[in-house]
Amino acid sequence: MGRIIVANRHGDQVVQWDPAATTDEGRAAIVEAEQILREARARGCAVSKKVDGKHVLDDGAFDPQVDEYQIIAPIAGG
Amino acid sequence: MSIRSSLRSRVASWERPFRWAGRVVDWLRAFGEPPAPTEERWGLERPWLINWQWVPKRSAGPGFGPHEYARARARGAEVARATMGDENWEFLRRQGYLDVRSRKMPGLTYRLRVGRRIQLIWDNLEHAMHSPWPYDYLCINPTYPLPAVEFTAQLYLYLRDREDQVVRTAAPQPFDQLLGRVF
Repeated sequence: MGRIIVANRHGDQVVQWDPAATTDEGRAAIVEAEQILREARARGCAVSKKVDGKHVLDDGAFDPQVDEYQIIAPIAGG
Repeated sequence: MSIRSSLRSRVASWERPFRWAGRVVDWLRAFGEPPAPTEERWGLERPWLINWQWVPKRSAGPGFGPHEYARARARGAEVARATMGDENWEFLRRQGYLDVRSRKMPGLTYRLRVGRRIQLIWDNLEHAMHSPWPYDYLCINPTYPLPAVEFTAQLYLYLRDREDQVVRTAAPQPFDQLLGRVF
């Protein structure tokens, strides 16, 4: 299962999908996960991707095979 | 009384098949409907779509009591640990800070403390003389409320992977203080 950790005031909320999904609902979950990442980036958020067990900030396209993404809050000075 | 009640029962028995038909139609409609929107499917709050300017400092906004704060901080700690890795997490817990060495400015170390401004630590005076900032603290907040420990882990990623962005964004400050957008 792949997942996006959405860090928010609740601590975190998780969006999950099965990369091997064959049902309509499973495929819809992948599409929605991709939309969430795109939307967050468009609003200034950064995205980190787990690579070899370590989170790194990433600008690449959504890959449903990735184990874990995390949405990182935009930062502001002051 | 008897006329009225018999009328009611006759109407009720007449309506019954239509009610059942209505339920079957509703069920068939639901079957062909597209999947529920994101919020409904995962109960997801997307904070980047919300204007948080009106939320008081160090608050998570309305609907949060002591239980919600405690829960959010506990979950935030789990995410922070996963984000920064076990080694960094243990160091932060033991020492109360986490140092990130600058890759852009020689002799500079960023000291991260949970919920506080970033402290600049210079190796020596000569390096400090080349600081782009006039003060030793940098104020950087998330644009929406987060548990403080979770934001510390996010700042760690920004400093390690996008130091340029931090340098552009940071507001230098002459003294230490709690951050305003974390709790």
